[in-house]
Amino acid sequence: MPNIFKMLLVLSLLVPRLFAADAKLKIEKDVDQRVRIALVDGSASQSSKVFDIFYSDLKISGHFLADTAHHKGDIASNFINPALKSQEYILLYSLNQQSGTQLKVRLLKGSDGSQLFEKSYAIPTADKMPFLIHKAVSDINDVLQYPDISWLTRYVVYAVYATPGKSEIRLADYTFNYKKTIIRGGLNLFPKWADKEQRALYYTSYKGVLPTLYKLDIHTGAKQSIVSSDGMLVCSDVNNNGTKLLLTMAPDGQADIFEYDLSSGSKKRVTDFQGIDVNGKYVDNEGSMVFVSNRLGYANVFKKSIHSSSTSQVVHHGRNNNACDAHGNKIVYSSRESNNASGGNAFNLYLASSGGLDTRPLTTTGTNQFPRFSYDGAIILYLKQSGRGSSIGYINLASQQSLLFPFNDRKIQSIDW
Amino acid sequence: MTQKLLIAAAVLSLLLSGCAQNAPEVEGSGSNITDGSDIGGDTVSIDESGGANGGSSGNYNSSSDGFRSVYFGFGDYGISSDMQSNMSTNVRVGSSASAKIKIEGNCDEFGTDEYNYALGLKRAKVVKDSLAAQGVSPSKMVLVSFGESSPVCTEPTDSCYDRNRRVDLRLVR
Repeated sequence: MPNIFKMLLVLSLLVPRLFAADAKLKIEKDVDQRVRIALVDGSASQSSKVFDIFYSDLKISGHFLADTAHHKGDIASNFINPALKSQEYILLYSLNQQSGTQLKVRLLKGSDGSQLFEKSYAIPTADKMPFLIHKAVSDINDVLQYPDISWLTRYVVYAVYATPGKSEIRLADYTFNYKKTIIRGGLNLFPKWADKEQRALYYTSYKGVLPTLYKLDIHTGAKQSIVSSDGMLVCSDVNNNGTKLLLTMAPDGQADIFEYDLSSGSKKRVTDFQGIDVNGKYVDNEGSMVFVSNRLGYANVFKKSIHSSSTSQVVHHGRNNNACDAHGNKIVYSSRESNNASGGNAFNLYLASSGGLDTRPLTTTGTNQFPRFSYDGAIILYLKQSGRGSSIGYINLASQQSLLFPFNDRKIQSIDW
Repeated sequence: MTQKLLIAAAVLSLLLSGCAQNAPEVEGSGSNITDGSDIGGDTVSIDESGGANGGSSGNYNSSSDGFRSVYFGFGDYGISSDMQSNMSTNVRVGSSASAKIKIEGNCDEFGTDEYNYALGLKRAKVVKDSLAAQGVSPSKMVLVSFGESSPVCTEPTDSCYDRNRRVDLRLVR
């Protein structure tokens, strides 16, 4: 009997301590719920560039806390280096580019080396190597049942100025390790994806007397003229099923926003203002749009019903909010926070809702422009310029993870992904 | 016996505490398949050089056909008094022109995206309205904004930026 008392006494002391430790662990995991993962390179020719892409993918996913060390190992082995046993997962990979690109990945449990996933990928070219890595990380993320990150595998399309009066439209992966010019010659601007699958894109051509919107199939090269306009013409947004466009047009020399129906070729004027109305983006299940207007005497973000005259100011902050993007009821906008005609102005990004509530800053230093939501709204892409040059930045809104990739290209005109 | 119970209880407690690690449970090994088909699809590369008009015409950096460019202040689209002489010339040339007049709005490099193109358009529109008010037929004029795409000067100086905030005029050929 005394022994039982002694046992209960020990348990009563031990169990609360264990649960107290658990509570502490739980709090820490609430702060950072990412799982620890180490990358082990089993390639015959090991590359820091390949490691960096894997690491970036894992980091920006918001689901993994990747070990920064570039470990080397055997792709076929299940042996776990004792130093890595504290990692929840080990991602073994082997990449070969002797002919095309072949990638093999294996996901092991860090604790015992048991295999959770294995897959091989191959493409006939070397230049799209980053997409293989993005696909592999997206697949591993799916296997572990985390929220979808297939945006990693999407193209970024962007226009850059080549020389005065000339531009090029290029494709890239999100890290800009892959880049390809798909439209060169002349002045071609404002590329915008035409469909979720990224089979085609819209762009504005200045080849004729008037700006003309074209649709280009990026795989077949088939090109279709959509509409022309006096003054300016931009495809600002495409609705979810790809049947309607929000266009900035200027048939009377005034930049206004129109909804263009692709099946009928008809256009409906959504704004009619004697100043500047541009940058229409669908919100609230496509019943409304947010847009940039100078109707208060400076550039700011407003919301308007597509079908009625109801218009409201969305942003109540800043004096020059001249670009925005939207996803669902989320809005991101860039705000010029100085007014220097000699350049060097600070631009910062802010996140708000279409209802005008909950504005919060996303950046605090440098020049941050061209904000674009990923197609699932989880990530924001932007261009950052600072004393150290230009970078393409990404902000994961859920995890607050951010990444910057050097952008050593020409001056960017517009971007979409 | 008691010692064994204590050890068992401690081990059980430790195991319970380990349950707080909420790593997702997954199925066993995935299939070893090749899957790159959705990545390998090739994309085109097209050349849009040529065409009768547009910023690639070679005349992007100044007015032509006797017209004179009109310059604007930072962020402005009002014609200032010191541009009236240029506008008088443009009225004279425009009134006698037999071809259409293309009025091109341009901006410095500091604006972004669509708003800068709309600002260039406002500049072109104010020049068109002024010409129309002084007798040039509106039906003879077409407007195009080139935003910041066609600078005549690329040096990072104030005088350079001043030269880029302009409206160029030329005849459509």
